[in-house]
Amino acid sequence: MTTEPAGGGLRDATVTRGAGGVMIDMEHVDKFFGDFQALKNINMKVGKQEVVVVIGPSGSGKSTLIRCINRLEEHDAGRIIVDGVELSSDIKVIREVRRETGMVFQQFNLFPHLTVLDNITLAPRQVRKTRRAEAEKLGRELLERVQIPEQAEKYPAQLSGGQQQRVAIARALAMQPKVMLFDEATSALDPEMINEVLEVMKELALSGMTMIVVTHEMGFAREVADRVVFMDAGQIVEVGTAEHFFTSPREDRTKLFLSQIL
Amino acid sequence: MTGSIATNATAWAKENLFRNWRDAVLTVVFGLILAFLTIRVLSFVLGSDWEIQRVNMRNSLVGPEISGTDLWGPVIGIWLGAAAVGVLIGAMDRAQHVDDPGAMLDPLNPAHWPQLAARTLDRLWPLLALVAFSLLLTTSAAGLLVAIATLALGFLGRAVGMRLPLGSLRWAALAAGLAPLVAVLIIRYGFGIDWKDWGGFLLVAFAGAAGIALSFPLGILLALGRRSKLPAIKALSVAYIEFFRGVPLVVLLLIGSLVIGLFLPRSLIPSEAIRAVIIFTLFTAAYFAEVIRGGLQSLPAGQEEAAKALGLPGWRITTFIVMPQALRNVIPAIVGQSISLWKDTSLMFIIGLAEPLRLASAFTRQPEFRGQGLITLTLFFAGLIYWVVSFTMSRESQRLERKLGVGQR
Repeated sequence: MTTEPAGGGLRDATVTRGAGGVMIDMEHVDKFFGDFQALKNINMKVGKQEVVVVIGPSGSGKSTLIRCINRLEEHDAGRIIVDGVELSSDIKVIREVRRETGMVFQQFNLFPHLTVLDNITLAPRQVRKTRRAEAEKLGRELLERVQIPEQAEKYPAQLSGGQQQRVAIARALAMQPKVMLFDEATSALDPEMINEVLEVMKELALSGMTMIVVTHEMGFAREVADRVVFMDAGQIVEVGTAEHFFTSPREDRTKLFLSQIL
Repeated sequence: MTGSIATNATAWAKENLFRNWRDAVLTVVFGLILAFLTIRVLSFVLGSDWEIQRVNMRNSLVGPEISGTDLWGPVIGIWLGAAAVGVLIGAMDRAQHVDDPGAMLDPLNPAHWPQLAARTLDRLWPLLALVAFSLLLTTSAAGLLVAIATLALGFLGRAVGMRLPLGSLRWAALAAGLAPLVAVLIIRYGFGIDWKDWGGFLLVAFAGAAGIALSFPLGILLALGRRSKLPAIKALSVAYIEFFRGVPLVVLLLIGSLVIGLFLPRSLIPSEAIRAVIIFTLFTAAYFAEVIRGGLQSLPAGQEEAAKALGLPGWRITTFIVMPQALRNVIPAIVGQSISLWKDTSLMFIIGLAEPLRLASAFTRQPEFRGQGLITLTLFFAGLIYWVVSFTMSRESQRLERKLGVGQR
């Protein structure tokens, strides 16, 4: 993990923790929406079991960045390699990457017509061809892990926001992914429900999951992030530990942003 | 007891009908209008001589060409349908009371009969009233027996359905779906009744059911086609939809018969009734496609993204995530389109088939009824049957909506 604030070259967010090697490698990634450039020359490596928190103002490209990793957005230039597989337009490759990459959305995006348990077991059964009984056993274990085992038979609309987001985490984990992407997972929650979701995310981080977390929760960053990446206007502006951002941010844009959110 | 009900009724009326002088005036005015209309309709129904409909009841129901032992075809078809629907309802009841099987109503238990009768009346009163009216008209013992047997088979089916093992629901649904097809095959091939001899409500029920059943999947495919990324499929779907929505159904029915007749060798030309079903299917599919496309567009993008992020392949996303929600969102429009097709079956008039309207007018040309202006009676009866079926479809769709809405969004 390079968190060394000295020297000029912090725009390349290079590696890593442990001897596990690289899980995600983004090289010179550009992304355009029409004429608007959402990502500008993104270089970022994420090590196995590393937890990276991405912060930045609205519209800075944070969500686009992680949505490129599981190809919900298609990057226009550069390379993205996930666990040794380079993303291309080949649908088989894309699905292979998606199977290994869990994502949690701001708006939960649970399937409202399926029960909680069916939300969780759908992908293992349909994609991994896990048998129903086995998938449901796994599903109940995951609900136990996110601490809502009693909600298995309910429909999403019958749960609170915090519970729904925990189901969404369980649903992503059911595919036993190697990476978890969190796209502002707590932004749509009522304040009193944010912690129950963050607790689950912390537990996940401690268990050794590789995670990229887009969030404004600096407390979470401070507790579990190996590195914090600050983005603005489609670029990675500064990389460091959470501590570095609290005590000695270098770039003016970083200082301005932090003064607004802290 | 009665006293308290009466007090409640008075209180309710005070609260809802006579809250202030304006409400009171409106209540009285509309009450008078309602009473007037009711009296007029009743005096028409009760004051008319229904002899023409009485002697033509069989013609109205199955057409003039089906008689004698051939009548067993439609009768067996109805029995089959009633039994299959009964099994389905029983199986649904079973699935609903997994935790509490004792709460199921068992047709084999006489103690449950009053409740079963109340529920059946509540659910099917328009249909039952129509049957009762027809039976009163005809005073036919055979008709009464058939009606009683139909009800009995329905309840027997329900008793069987609730005793099936859990998880048989989808098989019961499949059976109920296939029952009409089997009934059609029995009538057509079992009893050898040629298509050209089908008439009356047998004919339009067949055309309507077949049209709805066939155009629905075609409509789904067209809706998906119109959203396809492949330009050829998209263009073809758009062209299809815009063509069939742009041409009046009557024109299609006339041209359809002509066109199919021009391009197919004589031996392969399907009969008039089948041609009409093909046209109904092609026409309604275009409308279904647009309705379903609306449902697809109503879904938030996040649903598809979440499914993609899990690694589900595209067609599984469509089957398990997108389509179930899209269809649920447009049930009212789908039912509206189905009712529309059901009523449009009377347009088979135009290509010379013995559908109910043509028959209604033909009855008035029978020697004993000619020139007596009886067409209001025969048309009233034909319209009544159309209305009862439409109304039942509408009520059942509302039930379905309530059921699917449980705990969802």
